Amino acid sequence: MSARPAMARDRILERLRSLLREKRPPFRDPIAHDLPAPPMTVYPPSGRRSLVETFGAKLTELSGSCELVRSETDVAERIAQKICEWVPTGGPERTEVLSWAPGELHVARLEQTLAELDVSLFVPDDMNDQRVRDHAASLAVGITGVEAAFANTGSIALLPAPGRSRAASLLPLHHLVLIPLSRLYPTFEDWLLKLRKRGRLEAMVRRSGQIAFITGPSKSADIELNLTLGVHGPKVVHAVVFDDE
Amino acid sequence: MTVDPSANFRTRVEQALGDDNLRTALDRATSRLRGKRTTAVAAIDLERLRDEARAIREHSIRRLPEMLEQLERNLIANGCQVHWAETGTEATDIINAIARQHGVRRAVKSKSMTTEEIRLNEALGQEGVAVVETDLGEYIIQLADEPPSHITAPVLHKRAEDIAELFQRELGMHPTTDPTEICAAARRQLRGEFLAAELGISGCNFAIAETGTICIVTNEGNGRMVTSMAPVYVALLGIEKIVPRVEDAILLWQAVARSATGQETTVYFSMSSGPRGPGQVDGPREMHVVLLDNGRTRILERGYADALLCVRCGACLNSCPIYREIGGHAYGETAYSGPIGAVVTPLLADNPATFRELPYASSLCGVCREVCPVKIDLPRLLLDLRHNLTQLKASPRYERTAVRAFARAAERPRTYQRLSRIVRWFMRLLPQNQDGDVSKLPPPLSAWTRSRVFPKPATPGFRELWRARGTQDTTSGDG
Repeated sequence: MSARPAMARDRILERLRSLLREKRPPFRDPIAHDLPAPPMTVYPPSGRRSLVETFGAKLTELSGSCELVRSETDVAERIAQKICEWVPTGGPERTEVLSWAPGELHVARLEQTLAELDVSLFVPDDMNDQRVRDHAASLAVGITGVEAAFANTGSIALLPAPGRSRAASLLPLHHLVLIPLSRLYPTFEDWLLKLRKRGRLEAMVRRSGQIAFITGPSKSADIELNLTLGVHGPKVVHAVVFDDE
Repeated sequence: MTVDPSANFRTRVEQALGDDNLRTALDRATSRLRGKRTTAVAAIDLERLRDEARAIREHSIRRLPEMLEQLERNLIANGCQVHWAETGTEATDIINAIARQHGVRRAVKSKSMTTEEIRLNEALGQEGVAVVETDLGEYIIQLADEPPSHITAPVLHKRAEDIAELFQRELGMHPTTDPTEICAAARRQLRGEFLAAELGISGCNFAIAETGTICIVTNEGNGRMVTSMAPVYVALLGIEKIVPRVEDAILLWQAVARSATGQETTVYFSMSSGPRGPGQVDGPREMHVVLLDNGRTRILERGYADALLCVRCGACLNSCPIYREIGGHAYGETAYSGPIGAVVTPLLADNPATFRELPYASSLCGVCREVCPVKIDLPRLLLDLRHNLTQLKASPRYERTAVRAFARAAERPRTYQRLSRIVRWFMRLLPQNQDGDVSKLPPPLSAWTRSRVFPKPATPGFRELWRARGTQDTTSGDG
């Protein structure tokens, strides 16, 4: 922009440099040790439960729900059943759900199974298009996969990409999240450590535009700390974990 | 709102203490938040977490200039536009210019105390941009035309009944005090705003230097909305919000969640590194980051770098016996209340003496230091600040005269002895309670006894004891 902000930058940095040179250490009681080495963790050791059980228990505790589908061929069936629970199907009009592109969901025969129930996937290509946007905002169910899921906190991580809208996990009242077992980690820290070791962490964070960590349904406790669900994001979050190995 | 933030300190405190509804709301909310925090931190190795969190924040503040340059470099490489502002006015000018450039009329904002600090809504409003607060709590107080009273729970001073009444009046909601229905009314209203806004604005909880990433912590999802749905997104952050690595942000996020609300994590944690990538479906086409000083380098200059470690969790507010009685508005016209607010508000001001009472809004009980996830020694900062304000001659003239007179008397044993005898004799004439403490002093000393008693003089006095001891064998131990 104008010349002034550029000067603001240099003045701020120069002030900081000279102050930090002068006042060393700048703190009253500095804690002398260095930057801690990952993994840093704040979790109690988890019990003897499996990752899926831990994930499911945690998500349930947070007003979400979770199920494990063992056979890969049943996954599409369960998704269809869940959609029918949430929204009326089989009426005169087709039921549409807001979704990531089927190729991003890694579920065999998903579209065909849903079509039998007259349910189709709406995969937006550009949410800036007003018609696409309005239509996406009118749908009650969103389906997404995950980049990773974390058992100890019942959390998921989502990365936007072509075919993977942010809207599908944000606008609808119901969020159906599909988690391949191979992407389930005990904690955030395990995932970060793996990416860091492979030298992929920095690039992944930078290139995705936005990483979203989501833990259960949208909620607020602003009204006298009463828990209310579905403030802006989904009110209902259901996870289907399936064995992809 | 019964507390007028622009009134003087004593009036504000009296207004707060006189409002039973306010005190009910404060008591309910802070008790629950404290309880939840206690449970959440008992489940983990809290000391390890505090040590790690503190080390990360210390590292960051020590290397601010290098890390800010690294952050800027990475943000630009990610496709963001970076702006620097020395003052609040410079920051609002920058954001106004961005709004003008895109013909923005409607903006949505997720909760940000930094935008409160620079009064961004007012500045954009003057340019004809309507800013809608989207955090449920912030939305409620925006409807009520009040400032927030807590860093993380802005509407903590209102009871459910108060909020229901406000929604009936402002949104035509049918009469109910059911939080679910109040919440649904807000969802309907705000959903339209999210989809129509041309500009999304947020603050920043942590900025990651190594990747150029702005992190936002929310539970409602409004943080994801404002960073994803509007075509232009602006993040405003104080220059101290920086951390070196991705892992540091993830750790501090969990530290904040446990300390603020007793959650293991918040529902949403959004890490925005740049505008929408090629082929992506949604996300902003432009992302701007405004780096704000507005007194932060002055905090460093004034010797209070410790205050810059703060991660704004609000645990010190919830546990402070003063905050729990008077609430946030009694701290005056500032975005920051409670113990941390009593430190940073005077320090951010051009003239700290404007807020000279705030460091005294503390009993120095030390609970704020115990709950702080980054181990800020708040009582010590409050004491140092009292000291500095006295040096600045910010205390009232009569107080300075009285302290000077006492110092002179205390340096002269005979004078001191004579004076204390007079005082003892004089105090016997004053009204006393059943313990013998003086319950009412004459003006101007009555200011002391208005809210507490003046302790009775010890009998026997020190000198009498000393004389009595002197007659015994002085070598036989010193007790």
